[in-house]
Amino acid sequence: MTTFVFRNQTVEPFFGYDGMAYSGYGDISVVPADADRYIWFYQVPVNADSGRLAEELDSYRDRLDLVLSSVDSGKQFIVFTLVNTFVLRLAGNETAVAESVAEFNRHAAQLAMSRPNVKLVDFSEFTSRYDAATLLDWKYYLMSQTLLNPKLARDFQAWWQRLEGELALMRKKCLVLDLDNTLWGGVLGEDGIDGIKLGGDYPGKAYTYWQQALLQLSGMGVILAVCSKNNEADVLEAWSQNPNMVLRGENFSARRINWQDKATNLRELAAELNIGLDSMVFVDDNPAERELIRQMLPQVEVPDFPAKPYQLMPFFKQLVEKYFRIYQVTAEDRAKAEQYRANAMRQAEQSRFADMESYLYSLDLQLDIMPADSHNLPRIAQMTQKTNQFNLTTRRYNEADVRQRLEAGWHIYCMSVSDRFGDNGITATMFLEDVDDVTVNIDTLLLSCRILGKGIEEAFFKTVLNLLRLDGYRRVTADYLPTAKNGQTSDFFDRMGMTCVSTAPDGAKHYEMELNQVCEIKNYYNIRVL
Amino acid sequence: MNLEDKVLAIMREVFEMDDVSTDTTQKNCPRWDSLRHLTLASELEEEFDIELEPEEIAEMTDYDRVIGMLKSKM
Repeated sequence: MTTFVFRNQTVEPFFGYDGMAYSGYGDISVVPADADRYIWFYQVPVNADSGRLAEELDSYRDRLDLVLSSVDSGKQFIVFTLVNTFVLRLAGNETAVAESVAEFNRHAAQLAMSRPNVKLVDFSEFTSRYDAATLLDWKYYLMSQTLLNPKLARDFQAWWQRLEGELALMRKKCLVLDLDNTLWGGVLGEDGIDGIKLGGDYPGKAYTYWQQALLQLSGMGVILAVCSKNNEADVLEAWSQNPNMVLRGENFSARRINWQDKATNLRELAAELNIGLDSMVFVDDNPAERELIRQMLPQVEVPDFPAKPYQLMPFFKQLVEKYFRIYQVTAEDRAKAEQYRANAMRQAEQSRFADMESYLYSLDLQLDIMPADSHNLPRIAQMTQKTNQFNLTTRRYNEADVRQRLEAGWHIYCMSVSDRFGDNGITATMFLEDVDDVTVNIDTLLLSCRILGKGIEEAFFKTVLNLLRLDGYRRVTADYLPTAKNGQTSDFFDRMGMTCVSTAPDGAKHYEMELNQVCEIKNYYNIRVL
Repeated sequence: MNLEDKVLAIMREVFEMDDVSTDTTQKNCPRWDSLRHLTLASELEEEFDIELEPEEIAEMTDYDRVIGMLKSKM
């Protein structure tokens, strides 16, 4: 894996040497095609002539555009925002440089929105921790053109390492919140609907800001849930009656408001939302509750809660940076919180039907199966990164990996699932590789747990095999590779009628099947092959 | 750890190699390039809480001179 860095300054002390290659200073004439990913790390050079400096900064936009147009759009391209580490203003109203910096950053953000392979890194998040004298060490700048003090190299590496983890989509899915003294000040049961502190002056204002921030987070695809020791009826009343309430019942995908212990409640919430406990972050002002969860459910992240309401916004920032930051908000992400809510509705529906089949008919399930292309490729890679439970081989691919396999002739399909409650979007993928002219091997088969439980995995599997059979394939092979999380799929291939031909000591199983007839699929799905 | 061992440890870390000794010089060590030289200087400044002038940094071209420079600063 090599990373190629476009830069206008010395950055080797920060990114290191292993697996790294660097452009000439400010040079874009060489764009190596064999790099696995690219980083754009230009910073504001030192120039006392602010007019000239602004012009130079403006030229970075064009340089970046030119480079982007010549790199493989399937490879990750990380753009650092510009930060002016040495602000020199000869006149008080001199803003040209600041404007050029802002313009570049806006442009970079636009690129990250419009191009799936471009990720934006807000460099000010690192630099804002230091004062100007620490950030830029003139001695080292003049000796070696490092715009960033080499003494910060270790800090930078730690920060960068964490970012890289986030860039690989390791974020959490769900934020579980307590209510009293967490979402508002005071105790609802004692202070009453109008007695709790929310809205108005401090401290109520602090809780309003915090709720507004959480609402935005939910809009970005993070699932919000409530776990609170309260009378549910009181809370429902507060949600509908308190005029200052920002987050109300409909903003939470699931809730447990009762007097049961919170560990049991969190387990139930995870089951209801169909996510792992390790996707959850638990926020509660009560140290005893936090300790209980840390002890009982070590998979759940439990950050400390701020002691004072005025610390809530910095706390929110920490939460976002540590667990929830989103580098590329896909339409899928935005719709996800909505879908989890719709799933909860579906569970309620389920009990009204005599049997599973009549329920499935009533859903109007629509399965759209399509080959991988440039539009769905980011989502396909994202699913291989994030899906743990229904994943037969748990092979993780980034966008470039998927693209490479597609170009090598692999059959890569994905499936979008909708029903009368809503559109789940692309929630399944399957990778098949030719073994010989008539044989394919299933490299990857996964479904998002959001859509499990309706036989959709079977319909997907069989439709794809039928397609390949039409293409002349007569045999299919597959592997099941066990992990700590994919136990539920251990007999999937057996259930699909495949024959297990070998089992390894670690539990990995190899399967084969002849494709000598069309696989029959239940008729309560509307299946379209696009 | 005495001064000498500390310096050797820092050099090993900065040059990312184990084969560093009291005989190591900028000439006989391919990893001791100009950029790592500055990283070495900044690490030494940090470790021993000293300030090195650019001229002094430029003079520290082998292990012995590094030790000599540090001793003159303490």
